[in-house]
Amino acid sequence: MKFKKTDLNEVLKTLAREYTVFAPIVENEEKKFMPWAESKDVEMEGLNTIKPPKDVLFPNVEKMYRYKMGLEGFIEEIFPEDTKRILFGIRPCDMRSIDSMDKVFLTKEYVDSYYAKRRDDATIVAFGCTEAGRTCFCESMGLNPNDAPSADVMMNVSADGEDYVLEARTEKGEELVKKLEGLITDGGEAKKDTKCSLVINKAEDLDKKLAKMFEHPIWDKVTKGCIGCGTCTFVCPTCYCFDIDSENYGAEGCKYRCWDSCMFSDYTRLAGGANPRPTKKERLRNRYMHKLSYFNERYGETLCVGCGRCVEKCPAHLDISEFIEKASAAELGKEDK
Amino acid sequence: MAIDHECSCSKNPLVPTLCKVIDVKQETPDVQTYTIQTVDGKKPFSPLPGQLAMISLLGVGEAMFSITAQGDDYIQSSIKRTGLLTEAFHEMQPGQQIGVRGPYGNHFPIDDFKGKDILFIGGGIGIAPVRSLIRYCLEHREDFGHLDILYGARSMNDICFKEDCLENWPKAPDTNVYITTDVPSEGWDGHVGFVPSYIEEVGFKPENKKVALCGPPIMITLSSASLLKMGFKKEDVITTLELRMKCGIGKCGRCNIGSKFVCLDGPVFSLAELDELPDEK
Repeated sequence: MKFKKTDLNEVLKTLAREYTVFAPIVENEEKKFMPWAESKDVEMEGLNTIKPPKDVLFPNVEKMYRYKMGLEGFIEEIFPEDTKRILFGIRPCDMRSIDSMDKVFLTKEYVDSYYAKRRDDATIVAFGCTEAGRTCFCESMGLNPNDAPSADVMMNVSADGEDYVLEARTEKGEELVKKLEGLITDGGEAKKDTKCSLVINKAEDLDKKLAKMFEHPIWDKVTKGCIGCGTCTFVCPTCYCFDIDSENYGAEGCKYRCWDSCMFSDYTRLAGGANPRPTKKERLRNRYMHKLSYFNERYGETLCVGCGRCVEKCPAHLDISEFIEKASAAELGKEDK
Repeated sequence: MAIDHECSCSKNPLVPTLCKVIDVKQETPDVQTYTIQTVDGKKPFSPLPGQLAMISLLGVGEAMFSITAQGDDYIQSSIKRTGLLTEAFHEMQPGQQIGVRGPYGNHFPIDDFKGKDILFIGGGIGIAPVRSLIRYCLEHREDFGHLDILYGARSMNDICFKEDCLENWPKAPDTNVYITTDVPSEGWDGHVGFVPSYIEEVGFKPENKKVALCGPPIMITLSSASLLKMGFKKEDVITTLELRMKCGIGKCGRCNIGSKFVCLDGPVFSLAELDELPDEK
């Protein structure tokens, strides 16, 4: 199936009648996922957005419940409404990140109700990259920049560059495509030849190797430049840590959760002041280990998708791709059990 | 230890139940025990020994605590004044409304303990989780062999659960109680000294015995060393960990040690299991 590139706005307009459509929109020279409106400037191709689209499913700040103490005390859940959404045009790295978030929020004994509602209500149209940024290395992490296997609909530019080619892969995807009747025609050959600009040497079993490298001297070196600003966790599509706090007025208020960062010292600080991760070395080690080893052990896949955002945005030029290469090549010493 | 809890997936696991504190007991100068019920007078939930509750003073904060005891219509938590939130807890009066969710985490391996002699070791407020297990064993007395309870507090005034430690437990069938204080105190004619050396002094035998060991990190480290020296196996020494927690259900990220989350996969681990985790405790 395909539709003409020139019909893109018509397609979005049709979908926006029933859903809130989040699309890659350029505003003030920055591309980000925002609710689409006809006046907005959509840019499907070009580089990926600076911020990942994770906040559509896992908002930066989210109210959880309101409460009142006293005679008529109550605790009342605040549940997300109006979450019937389409995420239109997210890249394969970001789709793969959502697969990982699904594992965190929807498996292992407990289902996170807030995430589950947003996720159930979302239909995701992934878009194959047509251009790679200078820090894109998803292929080295086992992804394909042209294809997102778990998307509801996969969309690519056609070989002749005139159309967008669609493939519905799930029931949700088929339902979405049905709504585009009249705009869509059969056929179309997808162009799928985009390559990452950054290719790194990653050891096949890096996750298992890192599990033995907790005390390795590599950590002293790689963590040297880190200033603990948390930018990496903010732009990371798979960072999902959150804090819980409240906005309180006298005897009533509202509890919310918000993104947190493992790069901050108070993240693990206990009452009384003890901290199991007291310096940037322990904190960055935990972040890299979580992405490349711990998550593999717990959920069976790596948590770094190679989107390159943290590499691009780190003010101290820390580079996880460089770390992956160094750790892959590192020799194990006697302290590495 | 396998995860085995009442799964709250059917409702929102992050939203607490409104409860009230029906009794506040001053155990020591800095420890209080709160008896907690739902606002309509029911038991919030039925935890297994060692499980945790997320207790919030709405508007101040929320933190994870062990559940030291339970009855037909209540649960109890003993909380030491240590930081901002616990400071506020200590201002509470009976009738105070709080949010409670749980039970969280795994529990002491009671099935493995059956038929065995048990050595309970508590240091400071670490006696609180151990007490949930002691109470369980005393309620199911015929399932367990000989019981030894060794508890160390800073001074006589700092002994928690004085009634249990000094009156009830010493009278329990086939149970020995050893109390020690770090420093001598006026009116205290019991043992004085630290827990690890007292363990060695008493000379517990490792045969057919399981150990439940809770306390501050340094006390766990040194007591473990003493027990291993005395011939106890790492598989037979069970302890609990404590880290900062927010969600309690293994999602929010902060209480991991390696690939394990203390709130969900713990807090109960054997020394053998801890050996498998990175040294970040």
